[in-house]
Amino acid sequence: MRRVATAATGESAAVRWILIGVAVFFLGLFIFLPLAIVFSEAFAKGLGVYWASLRTPDALSAIRLTLLAAGIAVPLNLVFGVAAAWAIGKFEFAGKSLLITLIDLPFSVSPVVSGLIYVLLFGFQGLLGPWLARHDLQVIFAVPGIVLATIFVTFPFVARELIPLLQAQGQEEEEAAIALGASGWQTFFRVSLPNIKWGLLYGVILCNARAMGEFGAVSVVSGHIRGRTNTMPLHVEILYNEYQFAAAFAVASLLALLALATLVAKTVVEWRARRQLAESALWNGEAV
Amino acid sequence: MSIEAQNITKKFGQFTALDNVSLEIPSGELVALLGPSGSGKTTLLRIIAGLEFADSGTVLFDGEDTTDQTARDRRVGFVFQHYALFRHMTVFENIAFGLRVRPRSMRPSKEKIRAKVDELLKLIQLKNLAGRYPSQLSGGQRQRVALARALAVEPSVLLLDEPFGSLDAKVRLELRRWLRQLHDEVHITSVFVTHDQDEALEVSDRIAVMNEGRIEQVGSPDEVYHRPITPFVYNFLGNVNLFHGRINEDEDTPAIHDAATGDLVYVRPHLLEIHRQPNGGANFRATIKHINSAGPLVKIEALTEWGAPVHVELSQEKFGELQLAKDEAVFIIPKELKVFHKKVV
Repeated sequence: MRRVATAATGESAAVRWILIGVAVFFLGLFIFLPLAIVFSEAFAKGLGVYWASLRTPDALSAIRLTLLAAGIAVPLNLVFGVAAAWAIGKFEFAGKSLLITLIDLPFSVSPVVSGLIYVLLFGFQGLLGPWLARHDLQVIFAVPGIVLATIFVTFPFVARELIPLLQAQGQEEEEAAIALGASGWQTFFRVSLPNIKWGLLYGVILCNARAMGEFGAVSVVSGHIRGRTNTMPLHVEILYNEYQFAAAFAVASLLALLALATLVAKTVVEWRARRQLAESALWNGEAV
Repeated sequence: MSIEAQNITKKFGQFTALDNVSLEIPSGELVALLGPSGSGKTTLLRIIAGLEFADSGTVLFDGEDTTDQTARDRRVGFVFQHYALFRHMTVFENIAFGLRVRPRSMRPSKEKIRAKVDELLKLIQLKNLAGRYPSQLSGGQRQRVALARALAVEPSVLLLDEPFGSLDAKVRLELRRWLRQLHDEVHITSVFVTHDQDEALEVSDRIAVMNEGRIEQVGSPDEVYHRPITPFVYNFLGNVNLFHGRINEDEDTPAIHDAATGDLVYVRPHLLEIHRQPNGGANFRATIKHINSAGPLVKIEALTEWGAPVHVELSQEKFGELQLAKDEAVFIIPKELKVFHKKVV
């Protein structure tokens, strides 16, 4: 069977090798080469310099800020994403498609524009600026602005991942749990959550990767104050512009490592999540 | 526990699912809600369970108003059409769920839960499958687990939504006899929804026949089958021949005279006799068009003298005696007619 299919649908050996060669070439040129360069540049002046440039106060502060922003944005978007996906996936209500569109908004708006929105809202010349200034609150060019921008940009990841999963599962199991006397929270934690855990984890991983790597929106609201409002991506840019290549690449290598870890985690979780979705489909399909 | 639904009305947008429906279910009975799809039977069941709320009307459990109680408070056992087992839990965990989610003060001890689940596993004859996941079970096994899970919380009412709807014919037959047996042992007030008249006739103590959001008739299987009060009930419970005719009330067995404007006359196929001679009494002529003699009964399609198709069922024995052939002209004598006068309809 397999041989027949190959003969009928396959290409000649030459075409196959050319296609594979082109794919490998582009993959190497655009993915592996840059990755290799990041690490080789980072270690160009030796391990000592690499280590030292990660331990400057500015670099440490950038790492801390990035972790803080992600540490706030990811849990918030986790809660929001589950709540929104829950509402959309399990209930019918007016304005549902509008809500879906709104959730997608951060994907369709340029990050720079979303950063700008916050400047226009909270900046000194902005809508709420005077009020904030009177109360001695600073949002723009400060940590709150960075967190807000990060939350906005990573808004859709969890919800987007869960909506199809929850829709596929229907709500019979929840109804069964309630009829058996479970409370709302018990139903959520014992029945709903286990059914979506892989999809949820997948969304969280993507959300986290974006939160830590975000440049555009954060760049607009940050003001690039060293040691105070610099995140890792911004710190890389500053170092690079100052011709401190080894230091810039050292910080960049951390982001690259994060990307690699994300990729591995994503692959594992994606596999499990897809199986869960397929199981749901099979489960429902079989029952109908 | 007795259940009483009073004047229940439920609309989904423009569609009226239930139109002022009232139904009384005495304690300990097994009642079937029978009707075609879209007749409102599942909606009524879900309203009784508290999974759906009526636009108007009340549901009483033992005379107590439960209208504002949720499914959680009503303590009903509900068995879903597609089982709705928790897919990430084993059979054991599924059955134990209702006991494990109880508030601490009311929760039985671990040993008690285990004993209860074991007892139920024995009841559904799946003792050796306690550690399996639902996806590893057959449809019939899943359905039994769903039933055990509902019974674990010792509900005062058991509600089943098309319990055998998605099973194949043989398992279905087996399971419905098992359900009847179970009910005879446990005696819990039970309501089940079905669109299968055989299932309703075989299993239940009483049947409520539903159509287009209303209850057409409530009665024992015998009553609804032999003394249907509306044409719909007669039609839905078994095969029928429908004639339009004028009926002469003076005669014992009224004759059928075809007339488009006449009353509705129903005859079940097995209550028609075929004769070669017009044996006196009411009869009409027909020509045999098709004979199907496979199965316990011989099914004959014929065309009446006024050109309407008519179905007759004969025993194999009778058919053997008559030696009927295709295209033969015969006389058909109705043994029993059911007449619904136009004004009633």
